Amino acid sequence: MNAIPLEYYLTVAGVLFSIGCIGFLLRRNLLVLLMSIELMLNAVNLTLVAFNRMYPQSHGGQVFAFFVIVVAAAEAAIGLAIVLAFFRVRKTIRSDDADLLRN
Amino acid sequence: MNALSKIFPSNDFALLAIVLAMPLIGAFVNGVFGKRLGKEAVRLMALSALGVSFIASVLTFVMLGKAEAIAHAATTEKFHPVGKLTWVAWRWLDLNGQYGSVPIDVAFGVDAMTATMMLVVTGVGFLIHLYSSEYMKKDPGYYRFFAYLNLFIFSMLVLIMGDNLPVLFVGWEGVGLCSYLLIGFWFTEEKNASAGKKAFIANRIGDFGLLCAMAMLLYYCGTLTFDGIKNAAPNTLLSEVKVWPLGNLPIEKVWDVEFAPKSMWPNWLVHLFLPEEAIKVKAATLVAWSLFLGCAGKSAQIPLYVWLPDAMAGPTPVSALIHAATMVTAGVYLVARMSDVFVLSPAAMATVAIVGAATAIFAATIGLLQTDLKKVLAYSTVSQLGFMFIGVGVGAFTSGFFHVFTHAFFKACLFLGAGSVIHALHVRIHDTDKSQDMSNMGGLAKYMPITHATYFVSCLSIAGFPLTAGFFSKDEILWRAYINQAGGPKTEGMWLWPTWLGPSLYWVGIVAATMTSFYMFRSYFLTFHGEFRGWKIVKGWVDPHPHPDPDDHGAHDSHAHADPDAEVAPKKRLEGPEPHESPLPMTIPLMVLGAFALVAGFLGAEPLGIAPLIHKLEPIFANAERLVGIRAGTHEHGGQMWLMMVPGVVACFGGILAAYSVYVTRRGEPEVAFKQGFPRLHSLIYEKWRIDELYDATVIGMVDALADIFVMADTWIVDGIIAKLTALVTAAIGALLRVVHTGRVQIYAASMVIGLAVMGWFFVQPKAMVTIDESKLNQTGEVVMTAAPGLGYAYKWSGKDVKEIEFSPGQSKYQLTLAQGETREVTVRVRNAFGRETATPVVITRQKPQGQMMPTPQQFQPRPPGAAPGGAAPGGTAPGAPIKLEGSDIPNLLRGAGQ
Repeated sequence: MNAIPLEYYLTVAGVLFSIGCIGFLLRRNLLVLLMSIELMLNAVNLTLVAFNRMYPQSHGGQVFAFFVIVVAAAEAAIGLAIVLAFFRVRKTIRSDDADLLRN
Repeated sequence: MNALSKIFPSNDFALLAIVLAMPLIGAFVNGVFGKRLGKEAVRLMALSALGVSFIASVLTFVMLGKAEAIAHAATTEKFHPVGKLTWVAWRWLDLNGQYGSVPIDVAFGVDAMTATMMLVVTGVGFLIHLYSSEYMKKDPGYYRFFAYLNLFIFSMLVLIMGDNLPVLFVGWEGVGLCSYLLIGFWFTEEKNASAGKKAFIANRIGDFGLLCAMAMLLYYCGTLTFDGIKNAAPNTLLSEVKVWPLGNLPIEKVWDVEFAPKSMWPNWLVHLFLPEEAIKVKAATLVAWSLFLGCAGKSAQIPLYVWLPDAMAGPTPVSALIHAATMVTAGVYLVARMSDVFVLSPAAMATVAIVGAATAIFAATIGLLQTDLKKVLAYSTVSQLGFMFIGVGVGAFTSGFFHVFTHAFFKACLFLGAGSVIHALHVRIHDTDKSQDMSNMGGLAKYMPITHATYFVSCLSIAGFPLTAGFFSKDEILWRAYINQAGGPKTEGMWLWPTWLGPSLYWVGIVAATMTSFYMFRSYFLTFHGEFRGWKIVKGWVDPHPHPDPDDHGAHDSHAHADPDAEVAPKKRLEGPEPHESPLPMTIPLMVLGAFALVAGFLGAEPLGIAPLIHKLEPIFANAERLVGIRAGTHEHGGQMWLMMVPGVVACFGGILAAYSVYVTRRGEPEVAFKQGFPRLHSLIYEKWRIDELYDATVIGMVDALADIFVMADTWIVDGIIAKLTALVTAAIGALLRVVHTGRVQIYAASMVIGLAVMGWFFVQPKAMVTIDESKLNQTGEVVMTAAPGLGYAYKWSGKDVKEIEFSPGQSKYQLTLAQGETREVTVRVRNAFGRETATPVVITRQKPQGQMMPTPQQFQPRPPGAAPGGAAPGGTAPGAPIKLEGSDIPNLLRGAGQ
């Protein structure tokens, strides 16, 4: 049951989170930004599930993971809608171009 | 009636709620929905509200008689007990102070005086509502007018029915507000709006006095209910109060400073500021003076009378109701209500009487030469109020109050008659001032028989023609002024009335009464006799510029829309139809009020021995009038009363005959001659002795100067420094924050990541914090140390001569035992999951017992390396309690980290 140690999971989660984080910071494409957010959320999900595996008497980790998935789905729906609306206005999906409120 | 007595027992007389609620409902409905309801509904609402209120007041009056009879049967005292109906609505507030708690209820009480006032307010109020419903017919603000009028009736009822001073004050302010609203009813004209403002401000000065009086009464009597004040006043209000030098000010020190020594100043000035004996006044005098300031404001007495003549800018029914019949008499009512306080101070009584007499004669002189019909009546009101104050000032409270009662009828009738005349003149003359100018009237007796008759009767009454209402009330006041002498409670150091004061008041009153008679009949003759001077009467005249409605006189005295004919009047004489009599809703009130002006005197005709109303009022003032004596050399009953009446009757006839000879026989020539002979004196009187100008130059000028100073402070300090500084700081912070606020999502995300990283670093750092339980240190020498837990922590305990424990996750607790006088040093090392380590040394000392078994302060030294000596020693904690290191101690402990 404990074939794979906890550290492995955590490492994978850390790497995933870092990829998401760096992607979010460096890319300018709004769709990619949304995907990066998904990566970070899933990295968190992975740690939650991994810890839950370590303490199987409680189901908190798994329940939390489900909540995160639901919130992520809602966020993706709204985020995509905003991106779509933004695209209709500006004909671009670069986050740098979302500057109507500046100046 | 029996059933009613059961429903409304005299100590819980909830019928008063109906009296009060009806006008309030009327005001609400008319004010909120009136515009949509239409004029008919507004009229119905206002009149029915007043009508029900009047009927309930009559019921109250009748049931009060019954309560009085019961109270009378239950006592054997010489004086009739005061019958009273009370109703406590709810507990308003509890004043909690240094000397205890004073509850204040929303309580209403009705005795004979209040019941009489209620009948006047609701009865005359109803008639004037009826009159207004016709008079204001064409006004676009019809609903607003009736909302205000109903609200006024409500406030006035609260004023007279309130059973304690705070409730009275609510009504007092309420009528002031309504007066303001109604004077400025046609607020589009600057003149009206500023007249309202003037009335409000003059009243505010008086209200200040009333508030001060309430505070003092609360301090001295400990209560604000009328009954409580009545009982407490004789015992508490006779103490002396030091009024100068102020309080405990060390004036000697303030005065005798180095740069201006005492010797520098003239002797009299030093004496003025540093009298050898402190100036003391009786508390009763102070309270009464403050109260009287309030009364002078509300009842238009010198020096605050200036607002009342200007208040005639309001619609004429308002002048009749508020500024003649009811509100302005509130001051007299208050003096009568507080009679038990006033009689304690002969000085205050003298002030009231002298101010009253001065106002009576002063206003009468101004009234002699006014040409504006309403102005004549206004000054006559001020003068009559002066008479009332003579009455209450000399201790003749019943007489003073009786004059309030009769004055309400004849003065309301006079004002409504004047309104009727103005109404008639509005057919052709639309200008406010011109339509009220008596030089445009004359000869109206022929065209307006009812108005003429009622005006004539009221003039007779106010002039004091024998057997009319004014005759009985005014002559009673003057007779009382002659014989009375307010003696006070005869305590030591009490200022007493000189013997000449009474006769002086009497003769001043007689002179004022002569003038009253003269100017009232002057106005009567100028208005109703001689030739009509308004326009040339043409039979069958048709309006060349027809209004939509042939009966449309516009809103009377309001908007002065230019009439093309009026413009060319100097060249071509204005033509018009015969002046018409007013319609029935306006003449009915005139007739009723005129009838009362004629016969109301028989309710208090003391010379004839028929005085039911006065006998009903006597018990209320019996207590106070015990302190009012009769001047030596006069006697109350017998021939004197008849004898003193002769000058009054002579004054009345003298005035009438003089007015007749001047304005009818000689057609006003003497007035013209006077104007030409003494032009400056004439203009001085005509311009009201230029008192307004005097006030402008002195009081108002000072206030203006003060305001200028504040304006300077505002522009330089508030706007100049404070506002600019605030703006500067805000702008600077904004400029700083704008740099960060780029609008790029990635920058925000990056700052979040950096913040997360810093927090992560903080949590990953190991922290060696130790809690030491040394509750047993003095008994057994046992100490338990607990290191704080953390993520993946392992602990190592080491030190000289102590048991060493190698790194292990479970060893957060460590125990050791010390001998007496021993000092041990233990170092705890903490290693976290990432292998980082930190250490904290802990030094514990167990002291030697010093002979006795006294608990000694524990020494606990978390000695950080390189810490300043004496720093961070959380000693002084109560022995026995575990010393928890917290807050400011933690950094000192952490300083050992990283070893």
